[in-house]
Amino acid sequence: MTLRRRWRILLAALAIGAAACSSASVPIEGIPPLEATTPAAIRALLAESQQPVVLNVWASWCTPCRSEAPLLRDAAAQAAGKVRFVGIDVRDQQDGARRFIAEFGLDGFEHYFDETGAVPADLGGVGVPLTFFFAPGGELIAAHRGVIDERTLALQIDELLRIEG
Amino acid sequence: MEFSLLGAAAAGLAGMYVVLRWEAGGGNAAESTRSLWDLLLTAAIVGLVVGRVASMLGGGTNPLTHPGDILIVRGGVDTRTAAAAALLTAVVVARRNLMPRLDAAAPAALAGLAGWQAGCLARGACLGTPTGLPWGMPQPGSAIGRHPVELYAALLLVVGVVALMAWKRRRPPPGTITGVALGWAGAVRLVTEPLRLGIGGGPEWWYGAGIALGCAVAAWGFLRRRTEPDGPAQP
Repeated sequence: MTLRRRWRILLAALAIGAAACSSASVPIEGIPPLEATTPAAIRALLAESQQPVVLNVWASWCTPCRSEAPLLRDAAAQAAGKVRFVGIDVRDQQDGARRFIAEFGLDGFEHYFDETGAVPADLGGVGVPLTFFFAPGGELIAAHRGVIDERTLALQIDELLRIEG
Repeated sequence: MEFSLLGAAAAGLAGMYVVLRWEAGGGNAAESTRSLWDLLLTAAIVGLVVGRVASMLGGGTNPLTHPGDILIVRGGVDTRTAAAAALLTAVVVARRNLMPRLDAAAPAALAGLAGWQAGCLARGACLGTPTGLPWGMPQPGSAIGRHPVELYAALLLVVGVVALMAWKRRRPPPGTITGVALGWAGAVRLVTEPLRLGIGGGPEWWYGAGIALGCAVAAWGFLRRRTEPDGPAQP
């Protein structure tokens, strides 16, 4: 077997492996349609929250959102009971949104549907993805524009928990 | 790649380049600088891409159906697979004169890592766990001082670079520079890891494995020297 042929076989095996490794985390049938929301409703939710809130603005058509979704899922699981995670799906379709939540297993935190993108605009954000960090009671502590990385997310959650403490 | 990450990558490349230039005609043969630069650059790019793909697979994204995601490096790079892929690439590229070439490139590789770590200043990702020490740095808008852990790591790596460059001029057995550099990189990561903040469990065992591999390579170099009295070949 020539070296080139071996490389081709190896690449094909890797490609098949890659395809096999990625699959929907949860069945889409278990994901209900997202509840529509407004800026006022989100402001009220933040004001009433007894826990700090991480509010992530996403859309199923947004490629960078795909990149940070697994991180947010893991962070929500790790901070469960201490930090409330809220997703705002903007300028999207219900089917696409449900597929996105199912694909990344994001059913561990609450999501709302914002067809016009009014919520992030009200919070002072532009574009997607956006991640806002709120203290209990709704005070904005930090806002991150663009894809959030592990270190930044962990740092901001740590800051929120220390404010709460 | 976002501009802040490009800044960190540029710092890493600058670190590699400065050390290679510094060692040209000293620790390394002057004519080898170009090929060593190619070796390091190839290993770094392959490591970055493989680490990114591994991170995507770990997160449930298929890189075949979403190839554009590979470019979003800020979304995560799996350190373990990136390091393994970079090391393997370096071995494949340098295979014709393996140990002398890896030894020649090792200090520059450490300097590249140091530059990448120091690039946290551009990325806004230097800070770790809280500290009351006077050099603790707060987040903008926060009063909580934190360890600038990435800068600690960069500083320790620079110490390793200086020590290896000095040691290399004494012509140690082939493989020992590579082994010590690998072990040092793993050790720096391991000792700074408790000061870092992350999501989920840390891969500390992997850094231990890097240290063990580095020690094994260095020991192999010393033992081989006993049976081959000739000095190391120039890269």
